[in-house]
Amino acid sequence: MCLSVPLSRYPLYQLGNPQLRIFRTNFFMTLVKPGKEQPPDTVQFQIPMEMTKCDVKNYLEKIYSVPVGAVRTRIQYCTNKKRNHLSQRVKRPDYKVAYIQLAQQQTFQFPEIFPQKDTALEPGSVEEMQDQFMQDEQQRQKADPRRGGVTEWFGL
Amino acid sequence: MLGLMYCSKMAATSAGRVLSLCRQFQKSFSISTALLLQQTNVLTSCKAQLSTFRPKFCLLHINNLETSLAQQCRALHTSQWRRGLEEFFDETPNWGEPTVKSGAPWTAKQLRTKSSEDLHKLWYVLLKEKNMLLTVEQEAKRQRVQMPSPERLKKIERSMKRLDTIVQERENALRLLQTGQERARPGTWRKDFFGRTFWYRFKEYPIPWYLNRRYKRKRFFTPKFVDSFIRLRIESHLHSKILKKKADLENKRKLQEKFSKHSART
Repeated sequence: MCLSVPLSRYPLYQLGNPQLRIFRTNFFMTLVKPGKEQPPDTVQFQIPMEMTKCDVKNYLEKIYSVPVGAVRTRIQYCTNKKRNHLSQRVKRPDYKVAYIQLAQQQTFQFPEIFPQKDTALEPGSVEEMQDQFMQDEQQRQKADPRRGGVTEWFGL
Repeated sequence: MLGLMYCSKMAATSAGRVLSLCRQFQKSFSISTALLLQQTNVLTSCKAQLSTFRPKFCLLHINNLETSLAQQCRALHTSQWRRGLEEFFDETPNWGEPTVKSGAPWTAKQLRTKSSEDLHKLWYVLLKEKNMLLTVEQEAKRQRVQMPSPERLKKIERSMKRLDTIVQERENALRLLQTGQERARPGTWRKDFFGRTFWYRFKEYPIPWYLNRRYKRKRFFTPKFVDSFIRLRIESHLHSKILKKKADLENKRKLQEKFSKHSART
């Protein structure tokens, strides 16, 4: 039986039942940069609401082979106060956050995924000419430096 | 009481784990080769399939090197892929790029040719890719920067949906052959309180139905006093059918009038 869709409830367990196995999980975890400063061994994830701490631990250990020490979760409630142009209340969806502490004294630092790359514009191209034109315009619009920051409003 | 996740990954050495979680990620071309190796290893159980190297979505990070690397794949022994949390991010050359190249999603026709084991492995490859894309998307929202190539998410979702369809088809076929059951989840036809017949799908309860107070309040039977309302509903349904038929005939007559036979010109 493929339980690929995240159900609202897991199948019932009664004493003597075989171990539940889920083939082809439908859970997706998002690694996020922590808003507040976290200890070096803590990794922060946004997980679906149906996932539990045991699920997270198994997920990371089996699929990503990451040694997990401890998992703590919380549910972030998001506002239902905002209203749209029809003055209907619009709910921002709630989400679950998991804080994973890595085992074996490992550390993790969230990297810079969007570094500033200095792209050298090739001479003669359209972008280069546009860039040059914009720079010239800005130079022209600047006030006379001899006025020492005083605006044109003060005559003379 | 929660399930273990079945996966094809095996445990690696502790040294490998430490390396993978090192602060400075290894920025080298070997990552991209290793990625291709892993993905080809995962997706193609037999080497013969490497010769029919079509640009599939998850193999397309290194699009232009397919022919040379395909030959390298045959020669090299593919070691176990161990990167841990690095797999939540894209390859290091792709960071900061405005666009990232990716190929077409998997079609149902292509997926039907794959074995169940291959499909299982492919599911996890797609899962990891989707996790990576979601991470990048969230970070882009955080930094207020455009995510590079957001169409990759849609491609992944469609591939996964199609994979799920294929697996369900195979399971349905197997179940029909083995047990003769048409549906995976048991159910039955029932009448609700208003006399309407519907397909009721069974739900799991730890107690029998006659001890379940909330279930007994549902009433899957129609009391006597509802019969007159059922009759009215049947009448209105028949009336609407007649009206629809009349409207169709009227429409046909008008069209006939407008575009009659003798008005047609050659």
